[in-house]
Amino acid sequence: MLEVKKVTKQFSSGSGDVTAVKDISLQIPAGKFASIIGKSGSGKSTLLSLLGALDKPTSGSIEVDGQDITRLGDRALNTYRGKQIGFVFQSYNLVPNLTALENVMLPLEFTRVARRERVGRAKSLLDQVGITGDKQQRKPSRLSGGEQQRVAIARALANQPKVILADEPTGNLDSQTGKMIFDLLHSLARSQNTTIVAVTHDLSIAGKTDMTFTLSDGKLVKQ
Amino acid sequence: MNSLTRGIRNTFRNSIRTVSIVLILGLSIGLSLSMLVARQAVENKISTVKSTIGTSITVSPAGARGFDGGGEPLTQADLDKAKSVAHVTSVSGTLQDRLSSDNTNLQSAIDPGTLGRRFGRSNSGFGAGGQAPNGGTFKLPVMLIGTDDPASAQVLSGSSVKLTSGTLYAAGSSDKVAVIGKELATKNNLSVGSTFTAYASTITVVGIYDAGNTFSNGTVVMPLKTVQTLSSQANAITSAIIKVDSIDTIDGAVNNLKTQLGSKADVVSQKDTATQALAPLQNIKNVSLFSLIGAMVAGAIIILLTMVMIVRERRREIGVLKAIGASNVKIMWQFMAEAVSFTVIGAVLGIAIGLAGGKPITNMLVTNSSNASSAVSQTAGPGQGPVTAQAGGGGLFRRAASNLNLKDVHAVISWHLLLYGFAAAVLIALVGSAVPSLLIAKIRPAEVMRTE
Repeated sequence: MLEVKKVTKQFSSGSGDVTAVKDISLQIPAGKFASIIGKSGSGKSTLLSLLGALDKPTSGSIEVDGQDITRLGDRALNTYRGKQIGFVFQSYNLVPNLTALENVMLPLEFTRVARRERVGRAKSLLDQVGITGDKQQRKPSRLSGGEQQRVAIARALANQPKVILADEPTGNLDSQTGKMIFDLLHSLARSQNTTIVAVTHDLSIAGKTDMTFTLSDGKLVKQ
Repeated sequence: MNSLTRGIRNTFRNSIRTVSIVLILGLSIGLSLSMLVARQAVENKISTVKSTIGTSITVSPAGARGFDGGGEPLTQADLDKAKSVAHVTSVSGTLQDRLSSDNTNLQSAIDPGTLGRRFGRSNSGFGAGGQAPNGGTFKLPVMLIGTDDPASAQVLSGSSVKLTSGTLYAAGSSDKVAVIGKELATKNNLSVGSTFTAYASTITVVGIYDAGNTFSNGTVVMPLKTVQTLSSQANAITSAIIKVDSIDTIDGAVNNLKTQLGSKADVVSQKDTATQALAPLQNIKNVSLFSLIGAMVAGAIIILLTMVMIVRERRREIGVLKAIGASNVKIMWQFMAEAVSFTVIGAVLGIAIGLAGGKPITNMLVTNSSNASSAVSQTAGPGQGPVTAQAGGGGLFRRAASNLNLKDVHAVISWHLLLYGFAAAVLIALVGSAVPSLLIAKIRPAEVMRTE
C-alpha cells in the first residue's frame, strides 16, 4: 500500500516560495497500476519524485507498507530507492558508456548482489523486455528509443521493487511503441504484483490504468 | 563492474577531451619531474662542493701573496699548532719555488706571451726566478711545489688530478723524485724514469699527471722535505691547506687558527668563495623548487577544473545513479577513480617527458646560470688578476674556487625520484577531485526529474 497524507512541497525561487504540491492525500493499493495526469506545471513530476524519495516534502508523510519514508536518513533512503523503488524516465536516462546489460546490472551492484547473480538476473530481465542477443551488449546510442525504454524498464525491475515510478514513460516514443511499452509495464506489474505509478499526458493510456489521479496547480482535483 | 572500473572506463568516454587533458597534465607532471631532477642534481653538486672546498682554509705567511709581498715563511711548528685546533682534520703544507735556467735544465712549458712579458717587466726582481725580460728571449720559470700530498687537486688547482703514467711518491719522502705535469713532460721530452737537474741535483721523474689546465700541467711536484733541503729553505712552508670536519665549523676554526698563529700568518677561509661560487646553483635550486610547486599546483588546478566540468556535465547521470540506489560515496569513488586515471596516464606521459627532458633542462639551467655568473665575475676586472697571475703561495689554491666546474652537474633520474613524482601525481588527483566530490554530494537525486 502506498499512502500519501497531506503532502505539500514548496520550493524557494527568486520571486518567493512556489508551492508545487499542495496538501495532497491519496492511496494506491499494492499491485495496482495508477496514473497521474495534469497539465505541465501541475506538480505531477514533483509528486512522483516525492513518492520515490528523490526529494522530501515540506510537510505531510508518505508511507510505503506502513513505513514513513519522509523520516528516513540518507543511508536508509539509498536502500529504499535501491530496493523498493524502480524508476522509468521519459528520456530513459541510461548511462551512455555502459552496455544495456551493464545498465541493468547497475542497481544490483548498489544493493550488493553478487556479480554472477547480477549478470544472470540482468540477462533474464532483458530477455523478458525483448532485448535479446547482441543487443544486450550494445550501448544505448546503438539502440532505438523503444529499445532504450525497454532497457530502462528492465533496470527498474532489477531489484524486484514494490513500486515502479514512471515519468512520462512513453513521452518520447511514437504511439505504437508507446503502446507496446505501456503494455509491457502493465503485464510485468501484474506478473510480479508490482505497484506502478505513471505520470502521463496521454489520456488513452491513463484510461487503461486501474486508478487515475488528476492534478491541477499542485492540487489533487480528481481521483 | 564496480565504481572503480566504471571510473576508469569513463576516462576514455570523450577521446578528444582525454587526449587534451592527458597532454596538459603530462606536460605539467613532466615539468615537475624535470624540476625535481634539476633540484636533486644541483643539491648533490652543492653538497659535493661544500664537502670539498667548502671545508678548506688557506694559511700563508702574513703579507705574502704567492711570489709577491713579503714576510717570513711558516714553519713545521706552525703546522703542528694548526693541527691542534678543534675540528681540523688535516694539514698539508707546501713550499713553492721557481726553477730558472740558473738552477734547472727544464724549459717552461708555458710561452710567456704578452702577459708573461708584461709581468716580467713589472717585476724588476723577476730575475730571481726566470730569465730577465729582454725582449723576445724572456722565458717563464718552471713552477715547483714541494708537498707531501701530490695528488691533491687543490694543491694543483685542477678540478681533478689524473696520474697518466708512473706513480706518486710516498708522503714524508725525502727522495730526489718528482711528479710532473704532462705539458712540461712533453716540452722537455721526459717520461717516467727520465731525469732532470734542479738545484744542481739529479731528479728522477716517477709520475706524470694531468690536472686539466695548462698552468698546472707545466708544474713540477716534489716531496716537501726534498724541496726544503735542495732549495736551502729548511723547515720553510709558504702555504698550508687546512681542512675542517664541516662547513658549519669553519668560521670557528678560522678564528682559533688566527689566535694560535697570531700575526705571522694570514688565515683565509674558502667558505665565502665557495658560497659565492655556489650562488648560481642555489638560484637554480630555488628556481626549480618554485617551478616544481608551480607545475604541481597547475596540475592540481587542471584536474580540479576538469573534474568540476565533468561533474557539472553529468549532473543528470549522477542524479540517475542516486535515484537507483547509489550512495554519495560510491559515486565519489567513481569520479575519483576517473581523476586518478587521468592523472596516472598523464603521469606516464609526464615521466616520459621528465626522462627525456630532465637532463637537458638541468644542463640548460646550469649553463645559463653559470654563464651569467661568469659574466658577472669577469666584470670584477683586474682585481681577479693576481690570483691567477701568481703561481706560488696561496694563488694556486685560491684558483680552485673558480675551478669548481659548476657546469659539471649530473642529473640522475632514480627510481625513488620517479616514485616521488608518481606519488605527487596521485596526490594531485586526490586534491583535484576533492572539490568535485563535494559537488557530487550536493547534487540531489531529484535533479534528474527537473531536467526531464
